[in-house]
Parts: sequence; C-alpha cells; structure tokens
Amino acid sequence: MEQSTVVRAAVVVAVAALLDAVVVPYLTFGYFSPRLTLVAVVFVAAPLRDLQAVLLGFFGGVLLDALGGDLFGVGALGGLIAAALASRVSAVRRRGAERILLAQVAGVSVAIYDLLGYAARWLSGLSVPQLGEYTLWGILPDVLINALIALLIGGWLLRVVDPKPQHSWE
Amino acid sequence: MGQKKPGAVSGLATLLILCVASLALFTVFVKEGDCEQGGECGPLHTVQLGAAEVLQPVRSVFAVILSPVTNTGERLMSAFDDSREQELERELRRTEELAAQASRLERENAELRELLEGQRSAYQYGPLAQVVAPVGDQFTQRIIINLGTQEGVESNMPVVIGQSTLVGRTTEVSRHTAQVMLITDQMFAAGVRIIPPARFDPSSGEISPAVTDESTSYGQGLLGTDLEGYLGVDLVSTSARAEEGDFIVTSGRAGDKELLFPPGLYVGKVESVSSQDIDQFKKIVVEPAVGPQDLEQVRVITDWAGRNG
Repeated sequence: MEQSTVVRAAVVVAVAALLDAVVVPYLTFGYFSPRLTLVAVVFVAAPLRDLQAVLLGFFGGVLLDALGGDLFGVGALGGLIAAALASRVSAVRRRGAERILLAQVAGVSVAIYDLLGYAARWLSGLSVPQLGEYTLWGILPDVLINALIALLIGGWLLRVVDPKPQHSWE
Repeated sequence: MGQKKPGAVSGLATLLILCVASLALFTVFVKEGDCEQGGECGPLHTVQLGAAEVLQPVRSVFAVILSPVTNTGERLMSAFDDSREQELERELRRTEELAAQASRLERENAELRELLEGQRSAYQYGPLAQVVAPVGDQFTQRIIINLGTQEGVESNMPVVIGQSTLVGRTTEVSRHTAQVMLITDQMFAAGVRIIPPARFDPSSGEISPAVTDESTSYGQGLLGTDLEGYLGVDLVSTSARAEEGDFIVTSGRAGDKELLFPPGLYVGKVESVSSQDIDQFKKIVVEPAVGPQDLEQVRVITDWAGRNG
C-alpha cells in the first residue's frame, strides 16, 4: 500500500474526529447523532492492510476520545472494531457493491460503538436508560442515520483515500 | 471470490493488543475520577480538558451557525417525547436544591469567617469560585471559573483571591461560568496607587488613612501589561513617590465613569522604578501578588460601597 494512501487516510480520520468534536454536539438529538469518525474509519481503513487498518482505527478512536468529553477508551475500542470489520469485509466485497457493503459495516460499527458506550457508562456507575428504550430510540436511529451518511459520503471518502484502486474486485 | 490480505496475522495480534490498550485507557480514565470533585485531574482528563479549551472558540462559532438546526431539532424531539425533558427538569430541581443548600452553607461559612477574620464588610462577595481551566492563547491570560449569572456574577466585576488581592476581572459571563481576564493580560487596565509598605497591610487590605490625604503625593497611574509581558504602572509622574518594594493597590478612580474596581485591592509590589530626565513618567515594573499558576479558588466582588458613585 502506498504511503500516501495511509497519510491521506489518517488525515481524513483526524478531520472527521475534529468535526465530531466541534460540530456533532450541535447535531445530537436525543440519543442519536452522526458518528463521523467511525464512518470515516470504516471507509478509509477498507483499502488498507490489516495492520494499517487497526492502527488507523485506534488512532481515530483515541483522537475521538481526546477531543470529545466522553469516557476515554470507548472511542478507541469502537474505532478499532470498526477498522477491523472494514478491513475484513473489504477482503470479500464484490465489484461495484463495496460502498453499500461498507455502509452496512458503518451501521454495525455504530451499533457496537453505542453498545460499548452504554456498557462503559454502566460500568463506571453513570446513569443509563433502559436498554430496550435505548436500543429503540438510540441505537436503531443511530445505525440508520449513520448508514445513510456512510452511503452518501462513502464513495467520496474511498476516492479521497485511494484515487487509483489497485485491487481487481471479484 | 475473496482475497486474503497480507499482514492478517500481525493485524490480529495488533487488534488484540490495542483492545487491551483501549480497556486500559478506559480503566485509567474511570480510576482518575472526576477532577471537578476536588481532586487533581489525571492525564486523560487533562487531555480532554485541554482539548475542550482549545476547541472552545471554534465550538462557539459553530454554536452560533448551527443554532437554528439545534433549536429545530430540539423542538422536534420535545414534540415526540417529553420524558427526557421531565427527567432533566427533575435533575435540575435536585441540583438547584443542592446548590441552594451549598450556597446557604457557604454563606454561613463566610459569615463565620468574617467574624473570625474581620472581613472587609465594604465588599459584597459572590460564592467561592473554583478555577475550571485556563483559556486563551499566547496573547491572553484568562481563566474560567464555575460561577455565572446564576450566582449574581456579571461582566466587569473584580475577582480576588483571599479577601482583597486582585486577580482580574470578569469578562464573558454565562449562566454557570465566567471568563476572568487576569491582571497580567495585555487587555487589562486599572487605576492604581503606589503606597509605601508602612501604610498598607496586604493581609487585611487596610490602608492607612494618611494615604488618602491629598496633600501627600503618592504615585498614581494605570496598571497594565506591555507587549513584552511586563506588568507595570504607566502614567506615574516623575515627581510622585514610588520606590522599590512599595505596594500597588487599586485607586478606585475612573473619572466620571462608574468605578470598575473598588479602592484598596492589593495588586502586587513594585519590582523596579526607573526614569530618565527626558521622561515625563516613571517606568515602574510590578511583581504581581499572585501568578496564574497559583489560582485555584477565587472570589468575585459583586458589589461594594460607593460603586455607583
């Protein structure tokens, strides 16, 4: 993998984390909000090697934790899982369907991230809503919204990171 | 047909290691505790606090830009579901009760202290404020305290440490926080008087009546920080008395305008005095009584005798 691709991927993730910290708090309604860092991690980690992908996911997650005010470690783990999922899925994706597939991965990653956040709050003794209520009004809308965002901007993210794909998709 | 990516094994190993690292970060963060509860901030909390302070200006810009979206979203949310609002209202009521209790206890404490230490009754103090975080950049010296309009704090109120040692003045005040411009900020200015040590007791803030005697020419001028970062007093006449080791206190003078500071607040000591024959004013460098790094708890003087003339 070209070094420039990795650098571009890191920059995209950093910008997404910054936007997550600065803009997203004002776009959070109830339990759901855009998870730009996770979406970015999923799309930019996909063309990378496994090792590069997980390192990038961890980097993005730690950045999200540092810039945001939530429990530290949740973003790191969430980013890591998102990158790992994206990296694995990219090995089996089909020609022309990668954007849809990765949008689904983004949705799953957001769901995992939300559950991690829920568990972390519970573990640290902070108040949490009922899990059923949170799943219905928090995780589900979060997954749908972020999958939609991923679908909309995913193609652009893929082009930014990897303008000349070297793989031949089957 | 799928393809196996190179480095899958090392990727898996790294994934496991980083998972453990993430859990370790979470554990450390939780173990650090909340730095607002009196303890010191741990490194991870400090990172977040620092980032929050750095991003605060950008956030405030986006807050203005995105306020229509936020308001619309909140209205939509409340139209669908008001249970969260009710929960927040309950929480707010509980917090207000606790705040009222804390305020009452603090007032009692202050009254007792006043009895014990003979606090200057001419000043009306706000509750004890905690310094939340420093803000600003290389050109500003400001802090944020955890008092705001809710506690009666307004902009341009003097902020002191102890009873009467001037720290700065409030600038931007929100509901529960206020930004304090420190005396070492280049935008800060205050009318001050230079008093010999024998005439002033910095521990009590009491000035000898002889100082107010207009027949004696004690140095008076404008306190400020120059571009080189030196705190000093400008516009002190070369004929006025000013010596190394003298105390600097606020003069309370502001022409015909409302007084920004009450007279007699201790600022610091004269570190050096110099002047040349061609100078119209003395060059006085001041050593501030408190540095920004020493600030943990401060008080806002919300009113004082003779404030409005």
